[in-house]
Amino acid sequence: MSDDRKRLPTVNAVGGDVDTGPPASWMITKVDAVVNWSRRNSLWPMPLGTACCAIEMMATAGSKFDIARFGAERFSFSPRQADLMIVAGRVTYKMAPILRRIWDQMPQPKWCISMGACASSGGMFDNYTIVQGIDQIIPVDVYVPGCPPRPESLLYALMMVQEKIKGESLANPVHREESPDAAGKQNLPPEAIELVAQPFGNSTRQNRISGVEGSSAVSRPRDRRERLLEHQD
Amino acid sequence: MSSTVAQQLPDLVVGAEPVADAEASVAVEALRKRFGEAISGVRMDPVGTPVVTIEPARVHDALSFLKTDAAQSYDLLLDVMGADPGGEVVIQVWYQLWSMKHGHMLRLLALLPRANLSVQSAVDIYPAADWLEREVYDMYGVSFEGHPDLRRILMPENYDEGFPLRKDFPLRGRFTRSEQVRRALNRSTEDVYSREELALAGLLEGEPAAEASSGADEGEAKDYLAGEKMVINMGPQHPATHGVLRLVLQLDGETILRCIPHIGYLHTGFEKTCEYREWNQVVPYTDRMDYLAPMLYNIGYAGAVESLLGVEITPRCQVVRLIMSELNRLLGHLLWLGTGAMDVGATTVFLYTFQERERIYNLHEAYCGGRITTSVTRIGGMVADLPVGWLEACRELVNGLTATIDEAERLLTRNSIFQARLVDVGIIDAEKALEFGLTGPNLRASGIAYDVRKARPYLGYDEYDFDVPVGVVGDAYDRYLVRMEEMRQSIRILQQALDRVPDGPINVQDPAVILPDKSEAMSSIDAMISHFKLVMEGVQVPAGDVWYSIEATKGELGFGLIADGGPKPVRCRFRGPSFVNLAALPYLVEGGLVSDVIAANASIDIVLGEIDR
Repeated sequence: MSDDRKRLPTVNAVGGDVDTGPPASWMITKVDAVVNWSRRNSLWPMPLGTACCAIEMMATAGSKFDIARFGAERFSFSPRQADLMIVAGRVTYKMAPILRRIWDQMPQPKWCISMGACASSGGMFDNYTIVQGIDQIIPVDVYVPGCPPRPESLLYALMMVQEKIKGESLANPVHREESPDAAGKQNLPPEAIELVAQPFGNSTRQNRISGVEGSSAVSRPRDRRERLLEHQD
Repeated sequence: MSSTVAQQLPDLVVGAEPVADAEASVAVEALRKRFGEAISGVRMDPVGTPVVTIEPARVHDALSFLKTDAAQSYDLLLDVMGADPGGEVVIQVWYQLWSMKHGHMLRLLALLPRANLSVQSAVDIYPAADWLEREVYDMYGVSFEGHPDLRRILMPENYDEGFPLRKDFPLRGRFTRSEQVRRALNRSTEDVYSREELALAGLLEGEPAAEASSGADEGEAKDYLAGEKMVINMGPQHPATHGVLRLVLQLDGETILRCIPHIGYLHTGFEKTCEYREWNQVVPYTDRMDYLAPMLYNIGYAGAVESLLGVEITPRCQVVRLIMSELNRLLGHLLWLGTGAMDVGATTVFLYTFQERERIYNLHEAYCGGRITTSVTRIGGMVADLPVGWLEACRELVNGLTATIDEAERLLTRNSIFQARLVDVGIIDAEKALEFGLTGPNLRASGIAYDVRKARPYLGYDEYDFDVPVGVVGDAYDRYLVRMEEMRQSIRILQQALDRVPDGPINVQDPAVILPDKSEAMSSIDAMISHFKLVMEGVQVPAGDVWYSIEATKGELGFGLIADGGPKPVRCRFRGPSFVNLAALPYLVEGGLVSDVIAANASIDIVLGEIDR
C-alpha cells in the first residue's frame, strides 16, 4: 500500500465524522475479497447422494473427518438454500431430469462437485442405463476420482472449490452465468457427448481430450466445456 | 412395554435333511402324481434344490397346489426371475419356493417360447410376486396374465429401447448416447407417473378425477377441505428415503390413502453388465450393490459360484469369511441405526455409529486397502490372507462394540420421543409378512424365527452358538429391537470365531480356480501355465445353474446363476432382499400419517443399490 492511501481520510459510518486514521475496529478491503471469503467459508452443500459415494459423503460429515472444519456442514436438502451441489454416486438416465431440475432450482452463485468415478464418467458402468458423466447434464467445477473417493478426497475437492471462489469477481460473473434457456437442457452439445461416450471412451479418450496439465488447487484446470469446444476447433 | 414380552417363542425354522435324489423329494413326487404329463424334467441343482420343469400353462396351478397342500406348504416365494439362455428358443422363468414348516426348497422352471412370452401371474397366490413379476416383465418382456399392475418397474414407464436383459439387447442400449441424454431430459408426465397416479391427480384425459369431492357441503367454511385429496411426490431426492426412492402419496389431510413406490432411479444394470464379465470380474460389481455391508455380497457371490464349481473352500477361508460377514452385518446395522435414528430426529446416534463404522472401515482397509468397495473374495478363496495383527485389532474392536450399542440403546430404547415415533407404526403380522416375502430382521420382527444361518447353515454357522431374536407385534419398534439384539449376537459369533481361526492356506489348492503364488509361477512351468490360462481365459465354470442364498443384513440375499461352461456367466441374478421388503411399504404406511412413512421406511432398512441394481 502506498503512503498516499494511508493519509486518505475515512468516514465513520455511525457518526459521519471525518477521521484522519482508521480506528482499530475498521478494515479496508475489497468487496470481492469479503464476498468471496464469506461464500467460500460457508458453502451449503446440496447432497445428491445416490450410491456408495453417498456413504463416504456421510462419513465426511461424521465426527472423524468433520466437514464442519470447512464451514460446509450445513447439508441443505432443499436446493433453494444450497450453493454447492455434491453429486455422489451413479446417475441414471431415469435420474438425469431430476438432477437437472435440482441444479436449475439452486440459485446463483452455485458450484458442483462430481464425486466419484460414476458421476464423473460412468465409471465401471458403461451400459444402457448410466449417464456417462454428469457434465453431459450440468456444469461441473471439480471432479473427484475414486470408487468411491475417500473422505479426504472430498475435502480436497471442497478446498479446490474454495480456491476457485477465491479467484472470482463480482465484476466478472461470466464464468458463473448460465443462460435461462439452459434450464432443463443438457450441458454438452450432442457431438461432445458422442465424443466421450464411445465404447470404452471414458477410460481412454477422456484424458486425451481433457489434457489436464495440472490439477492442484492453485493451477485449476479450465472449465472442461471450454476445453471440449476448443478441441473441436 | 408389555406388548413386547413374548408369551411363547416361535419355533426356529430349520432346513430338512437334503435328499440324495430329486425324485425322492416329497414335492416332486406329489407334483408328478398331480401334474404328470406337464412335468418335462426333474433334476437337482448343486445346492440340493430339486428343480421341476413344468409347462407354462400349469405353473399357476402348481404354485397354488404347492402353497395350499398341507404336505408341501411352500409359504414363502423367495424369487421370481427370468433368464435368457441365448439362442432363439426360450426364455426361462424361475420360481424359487421355501417351506417354513418342512424346511424344503423347491424351484419351478417354466420355459416360455419366444413366440408366446406369457404365463399366468402368481400374484393372487403370493403377493410377493407383484414386484418380482414386474421386474421380469421389465427386463424380458414376459407378460404375466392377470397381474393387476403390469408395467415397467426399473426402467422409465415408457422406455422404448426394448427389454434390457434379453441377449439381443446391446449392453449400451439401442440409441446413441446423445439421443439417450436427449430423451432422458425430455420425459413427459406419462413417463414418470403411472395411469393410476394420473387418475388420482385427475390428469388422465377423458376421465374425471377419481372420487371427486361431493358438492353437498360446498359453501360451508368448516367443511371446505373435507374430502379434499392431495397427491404429493416424496423423493427421489429426499433426505429420508435412504437414496433415490420415490413415493407418490395420496393424502387426505395428514392421512395416507395410497402410497405407490417408484424405484429404478438407481438402476445400474448390474445383471446385464455382469454377463459381459468373467466370473472373478463380477466380484467388484457385487459390493457396489449393498454398499452398506459390501463384503456380504462378495462372500455370497463367491459361495454361489463355488457351489457351481463344486469347490470346497479351506477351513481358514471359511472362518475368515464368517468373521467378515459378521463384521459387515454390524456395519450395515450400525448405518441403519444412525440414519434411522436421524430420520426420527435423533442426530447424536449418527455420530456415535459412524465413529464405530470408521473403526470397522479401518479393519477393511488393513485387510484389503478399500474402505467400502472391498471386493475381497475370489472364487475359491480370498484376495489375500489376513495381515499380521489383524485378528488382535478385530478382537479389540469387537470387545469395544458392546459399549457403543449400550450407549445407543441408552439414548433410544426407552426414549419417549423415539417410542412415540416407532411403537405401533407400520405393523405387519407374521402371515402378511410371509405373503409379502419379507425376510431377514423384518420377518423376524413379525415373529417368524427364520434365519438362513440357522435354516440352511453355510460357512459352518451351525458350529457357533447364537440366538435368533424375534419380535411380537411386527411394528417399527420391534424391528428396531430385533436389529439391536442381532448386533449383540453378531458380537457373540465374532468372539467365538476369533478364537478359532485355523492355520493353513486361505485359498484352495486348485490351479484351475486360484492363481498360483507369484514365486511359484516364476519357478515352475506348470504353475506358470495355469497362471497364464487363468489370466487369459478366466475361471471356467461347468454348465449348470444354481440359486444360492445367504443371510445378508437386510434379509435373504439370493444369487441365481447360470453357467454354460465358459468364462462368463450367462445369467447373474441378484435377489436383493430390500427389493422384496420395500414392496411391503404401501401396506405398512397406508392409513397412517405422513410422518409415519419416514419411520416405517427407516425401520425396514432398505438400500437402493440392491433394490434397483
